[in-house]
Amino acid sequence: MELIGNFLRRPAAASILSLIGVVAFYVIFGRVNLVNLAAAASWINFAANLGIVAIPVGLLMIAGEMDISIGAMIPAGSITTAIISGHYGLPIEVGMLGALALGVLVGLVNGLLTVRTTVPSLIITLGTLVGMQGIVLSAAMLLTGNASVPLRAPEWAKFLFGQLLNNTHQVIILWWIALTAVFAFVLHKTRYGNWIFALGGDKVSARNAGIPTTRLTIVLFVLSATAASFVGMCQAILFNSAQVSGGMGYIFNVISSVVVGGVLLTGGFGSVMGIFVGTLTFAIVIQGIYFTHIDRNWSNLIIGVTLLVAMAMNGSFRSMALSYAPKKK
Amino acid sequence: MSAQSQLQEILRKGRIEAVRDSIGRLTRRPEMGSFLGLVIVYVIFAIFGGRVFLGSAGWSSWLNMAAEVGIIALPVGLLMIAGLLDISVGAILPASSLTVAIISGHYEFPAYFGIAGGLAVGVIVGFINGLLVTRTKIPSLIITIGTMFGVMGLTLGFTILIAGSTGVFIVPDTVTKSLLGVALGGMFQIGIFWWVGFVIVIYYLLHLNPWGNWVFALGGDRDSARDAGIPTRKLIMQLYMLSGFAAAFVGVTQVVTFGSAQVAAGSSFIFNSIMCAVIGGVTLTGGAGSVIGIVFGTITFAIVNQGIFFSGFDPNFGSIIIGALLLTAVLSNDKFRALALSYAARKK
Repeated sequence: MELIGNFLRRPAAASILSLIGVVAFYVIFGRVNLVNLAAAASWINFAANLGIVAIPVGLLMIAGEMDISIGAMIPAGSITTAIISGHYGLPIEVGMLGALALGVLVGLVNGLLTVRTTVPSLIITLGTLVGMQGIVLSAAMLLTGNASVPLRAPEWAKFLFGQLLNNTHQVIILWWIALTAVFAFVLHKTRYGNWIFALGGDKVSARNAGIPTTRLTIVLFVLSATAASFVGMCQAILFNSAQVSGGMGYIFNVISSVVVGGVLLTGGFGSVMGIFVGTLTFAIVIQGIYFTHIDRNWSNLIIGVTLLVAMAMNGSFRSMALSYAPKKK
Repeated sequence: MSAQSQLQEILRKGRIEAVRDSIGRLTRRPEMGSFLGLVIVYVIFAIFGGRVFLGSAGWSSWLNMAAEVGIIALPVGLLMIAGLLDISVGAILPASSLTVAIISGHYEFPAYFGIAGGLAVGVIVGFINGLLVTRTKIPSLIITIGTMFGVMGLTLGFTILIAGSTGVFIVPDTVTKSLLGVALGGMFQIGIFWWVGFVIVIYYLLHLNPWGNWVFALGGDRDSARDAGIPTRKLIMQLYMLSGFAAAFVGVTQVVTFGSAQVAAGSSFIFNSIMCAVIGGVTLTGGAGSVIGIVFGTITFAIVNQGIFFSGFDPNFGSIIIGALLLTAVLSNDKFRALALSYAARKK
């Protein structure tokens, strides 16, 4: 009993239950073959691309902020790499650096505007989202005359960022797992993690306690924008070309994954493991439906229901965690 | 100096004071920034767009767009004044279009039947949003993302189930068409007049009615608002039902205008409606904003979006301009708001 209670009070609890629930639903009603599903690459690839962005966005949400400009930063990262190294033929290192530098730059703008004004970060990043979309599209059209830019990456770059393991699994999955481990360590084992929770819990008290809240917020925005341009860069190297569109879908997918993963938008509560499992759950809902007998048109409905149920669970588990006191002996 | 001239001097000073006062009051009004933005944007596109943009072709193109976004931006703006968001409008719009098309097109029931069904879908989704927002502590952004996915899934699933394709056709009768889907002079959509109607009604509700004060109070401080006896739960439900209704209404006009409904339509309205409200001086932190501001914001947004095609620039520049406008609006709102809040009448 104590064991179950301890499990339920963890931020990841709802996401693990959601994962089990979704898989069980697909097994019972969709007659899905679990062996086939586990072996399939489609949902893991989907989850990895989503997950690398979801973790830093999740950290921002734990800190009480929001970043939707990632929807423009994914194509921005891929187009930058392709324009520098594909169109102008400069070495791939320059293209990659350019993409990541753009991420840092946009992250800085988001962060600075957020800490210097009283405007909510949702609105600020909505502005950079639209602005960056325009900049990426116009830059591609002006410089290359085309909305899709080809890129030939050398062997080593392909090996590191654009390889297909076993001809099916993208190498970005390994990056995702590695980044999850790094972020889990930072958030849960270092003081920086404590700072992030404190920031989301109560910004004023956090500052009064001596936490450099301004710098911390800016760093978090830089991380999320750079992670997004990193994913775009990997996609360009993998597919040998960059497309200007295709980032908008990520916005709601990322937020949903994070929320299914047990992070509260009000800040101060969440875990990296939860975000990881939430992303997996989300990917299985979307991609797993192809392995079932359920018509795939219903997948959005299943997402909506999963999201609302996960949020309800998060809410009740959180109040359990907050009101918990060990029983007196 | 005679008493006469002394009196005149005092009167003159008073008039200058009054003028200075009213200018000061004007710059502190929430819609001032958005009005300036509108003027600047119109002048820029008038210079680059030339005669075509200034003529009826230009006016009709941005007015048509402004009307469509504007009808949704008004209640979304009200929600934002109250400190809430509604993402689900992007799913309600196609849901309502398809309801109309399925009832009156696929099953060939009379048009008013389908329209009532379409509007009902919007109100019901709004009711559910309101219920979830008032009964749980989950932020409205997340709740309406959830209902957005849910409604999108239901729309797609049922459309395929009933009609067997993702697009459904409808041939509206002449009365319906002339009320909801006709273009005057072949250019100006009738939706523009409906938009004006929405503006008048919502202006009355927000600015001339106690209900509007409640909305501002809700956005300012929800707990104090409830303690002051404002029925906050009922108010939030009403606001969400209003935005659901407005999105459904645009869905109805679209299906009547185009004669078909598509599952994939509508997602652009999510951020567009929010952007119109923000350019119009509404802050998401709640408690500030005005209907006139939202109208200015909507027109500015539509002029940039449509004017770019008349200007000869690469159309993608439009997004950059809107991004820049949005950030400028946000920053200047911040300034204006600080000015308005810190203002105290000078001691005599």
